[in-house]
Amino acid sequence: MAQDKGDLLQGTLDMLVLKALALEPMHGWGITERIEQWSESVLQLGQGSLYPALYRLERQGLIRSEWKVTENNRRARYYSLTRAGRRQFVDELEQWRRMSRAVNLVLAATTSGS
Amino acid sequence: MMRLIIESWRRLRSIARRDALESGVDEEIRFHIDQQTEKNLRAGMSPDEARRLAVLKFGGQEGIRERTREEFGPALLEDAARDLRQGIRLLRRSPGFTAAAILTLALGIGATSAVFSVVKTVVLKPLPYDKPERIVTIWETTRGGADRNVIAPFNFVAWRERSRTLEHLGMVGYASLPMMIRGQALDIPGLTMSADVFRALGVRPALGRTYTPEEDFGGDSAVIVLSHEFWQTQLGGSPDVIGMKLSTANGPKTVIGVMPPEFTIVGQKAAFFIPDGRTLDQLRAVNGRESSYAIARLRNGVSFEQAFSEMKGIFAQLEKEAPQLDARRTVVPLPLEEQMVGELRPAIVALVGAVLLVLLVSCVNVANLLLARSAARAREVALRTALGAKRARLVRQLLTESLVLAAAGGLAALAVAALCHPRLLALVSDRIPIPRLDQVRLDLPVIAFTMITALATGLLFGLLPAFVSTSAIGDIVREGGRHGGSRRLHRALNSLVIGEVALALVLLAGAGLLLRSFEKLQSVDLGFQAENVLTASMQLPPTRYDRVHGDQFYLDSLSRVSALPGVEHVAGASCMPVPYPCIGTSFWRVDRPKPEDGHRPYSQVRPITPGFFRTLSIPLLAGRDFNDSDTVDSTPVVIVSEELVRQQFPDGSPLGRRLRVNFEHANGRSDVEWTIVGVVGNMRSNLDGPVRQTIFVPRTQRPSLAMTFFVRTQSAPMRVATSVEGTLHSMEPEAPVEIRTLEDVVGSTIARPRAVSMLVGVFALLALALAAIGVYGVMAYSVRERTQEIGVRVALGASPKAVFRLVLGQALRLVLFGLAAGLVAAAAFTRVLEGLLFQVEPLDPGTFAATTLVLLAVATIASYVPARRATHMTPADVLRMN
Repeated sequence: MAQDKGDLLQGTLDMLVLKALALEPMHGWGITERIEQWSESVLQLGQGSLYPALYRLERQGLIRSEWKVTENNRRARYYSLTRAGRRQFVDELEQWRRMSRAVNLVLAATTSGS
Repeated sequence: MMRLIIESWRRLRSIARRDALESGVDEEIRFHIDQQTEKNLRAGMSPDEARRLAVLKFGGQEGIRERTREEFGPALLEDAARDLRQGIRLLRRSPGFTAAAILTLALGIGATSAVFSVVKTVVLKPLPYDKPERIVTIWETTRGGADRNVIAPFNFVAWRERSRTLEHLGMVGYASLPMMIRGQALDIPGLTMSADVFRALGVRPALGRTYTPEEDFGGDSAVIVLSHEFWQTQLGGSPDVIGMKLSTANGPKTVIGVMPPEFTIVGQKAAFFIPDGRTLDQLRAVNGRESSYAIARLRNGVSFEQAFSEMKGIFAQLEKEAPQLDARRTVVPLPLEEQMVGELRPAIVALVGAVLLVLLVSCVNVANLLLARSAARAREVALRTALGAKRARLVRQLLTESLVLAAAGGLAALAVAALCHPRLLALVSDRIPIPRLDQVRLDLPVIAFTMITALATGLLFGLLPAFVSTSAIGDIVREGGRHGGSRRLHRALNSLVIGEVALALVLLAGAGLLLRSFEKLQSVDLGFQAENVLTASMQLPPTRYDRVHGDQFYLDSLSRVSALPGVEHVAGASCMPVPYPCIGTSFWRVDRPKPEDGHRPYSQVRPITPGFFRTLSIPLLAGRDFNDSDTVDSTPVVIVSEELVRQQFPDGSPLGRRLRVNFEHANGRSDVEWTIVGVVGNMRSNLDGPVRQTIFVPRTQRPSLAMTFFVRTQSAPMRVATSVEGTLHSMEPEAPVEIRTLEDVVGSTIARPRAVSMLVGVFALLALALAAIGVYGVMAYSVRERTQEIGVRVALGASPKAVFRLVLGQALRLVLFGLAAGLVAAAAFTRVLEGLLFQVEPLDPGTFAATTLVLLAVATIASYVPARRATHMTPADVLRMN
């Protein structure tokens, strides 16, 4: 019953969650919505990995959570970045950029070579 | 490092916040789904549709919940606690099942720990010596034989002088010594022992000192070292015992030391240790063997093998130097461990094997019960799997349940062991001399062993049902969830039944062989009638009696005892008829040339009084019995056994012929010629050995200060015990009298085979009962499962008979498979019993056939009840069940 579609590598998912939270504190459903929106629905977050990821990141001290009341008066758990989380996000972003640039270069080279 | 600390701290904190988190997750998921539903509603869906899609999009909630929970922190512990609570709750909900399982386990594990406690002490526990692996005991063989036998003092002195590989070579001999303790004459069992033995073992006394080699071989030393137990129980345990003088039959002895508690000489308990008292020259002059063996320590850097080959070499020289003593014999050096365990090993292997089989059968049985029960829970398991619970998690939960069961079984096993233990030990140790058996305790290691065994068993019997029932889900879904059972489950159940029957068969076959062998031992004809004979053994103190006085004392006492009411006949002999040959000696016919050393025939010699044959009902085949005119001064006479005549006198009647015998006559000469005056039937000195040639001599011509009275009585022999003992005691208050029935004496020679076959038999019965329960349980379950099928058959016109045959047939097919497998396994395993069997082959077809039939019968009865129940089924029952 677990769906594989749109499942992400753990590291990538963590980065996307950090990115979403870098903007503003939000709850789990908000994170799902935001990422789907950004990726034009290419990335469908499996809840199977989102909630475990949130609890993992919190345990690692990268995010913190608190219960707040939403605009339509419901209780929801809001997640926000800690200082360590923000640092981690910057590091990961930098690393991601380097990696994807490298991958792009390699792919371009292969294409022209053939 | 810092990270680790922070991480740990967070984990700890997360445990504390556990419950908040737990409910938090649920609320969060609810919130998430609600949000999605609202979004769907906004997109224009119907409320039902919106909700359904939201739930669908979210995915398997159970799985997510669980995986999220795993991120909380040390979930394993937390889950374990929850599983534990749940396991206990479930077990309490089905008390019948739980009781059956715990009882089965308690019996299996209890038996195992009882056997373990014995093995631990007797075999595994190191002896309290310095570097025990360096200690060697030294024996010889019998002439031309391989049996372990006592040594000649002459050889002992030669080994001491020649061996370069052994040090502290000392001699140990049995010495029972009558002592006056608090005004009472007691026969105290102790050892004569060279001073070197204390050094060879590397032990120090708890009090005082041990004696020196000078005191030992000096000739007239009167010192004594006491055991801790004797000092405590007989002498009050006061430290001023050192220097105290004990009054013994061999004169006063001064106490110089007390050994530590639990000190034994290679497992042999003794109340005291005294020096031999003879000088090395005197020992060298002894012509023959005494009841002694040697103990020594390997010199530094010497291996046991080197010592072994050196001793063999020395003995080969001795064989040439002293052929009259050593021809066709050899030396047997043994490492300490072999000495301690050697003879007992087959019995221990048999017992350990038997008890492990019982344990296995009880495991299989509980696995069976669990499996059949897990069928009932299959729907629950399937449901939870469908909701996304992980299989590993379910397996873990089911395993926890078996472990709870196992732990309860272990505790119950301890109770079983604590109850049976003392009774079992008393039963065995009264009859069988097993070294250190009195030190066996239910101590901490045994308790730890029991609980570890219990948990290991829990894993063993829990794994299979856990895996089968969690992997059977596909089958259940296919079958529409109506039956708990699946094909895979049935296969597992069936193979367990087969295994159980096979294991039980192995055990039963082993027990059957031992019982048959024991039966054969018991039916051996000893050559005398032991029923209604009382024996009374006594030894006169040599300080107050010489040969003449001793003879007179026994002559008087025989006539006094024969006058007692209830006594039919009475006679005396220097030794008990079993289990030892009294005196062993070589002999030859005077009218034939004297054979070479080492090739002379060998006989046991038994000094007796007139009337001995009549008292023990040994038939006089020719000639006459001894009588009062056979005295120290008359012609030396002997009576010989039928076997001796068969071997030595193929040429005609032996009466009137003369023998030379290699021992001293009462007149001090060893070159006398003994005239044969009678022939009697053969008498065995042990049950499992060959019939020996025997020479009887009159006690007047070969006297001894020790004698056993044999009293044939009209009724139960113990009735005259008090009057016999009283009579002897009144005649000589300082000589202790030991009373036993002759049947008891004979019985104790087969006490070990009796104990082994009895114990293995009990284990086999246990396994049989467990197997019966197992077969019954599985068949009952199977009938319940097949209710529908049977109902349909009945509806279609199947007769009760056909239904009965169907169910029974299924059961018997399994049982037959089990029997076949068991026969193969038994054929392989009964070989380990070889050393314990007497006149029975390990593959005895009779035993195997009987065992198979018994098991078949029991299994048939066990499946009869469920089969019977199946025949009473009607289609209406089936409809009602659905």
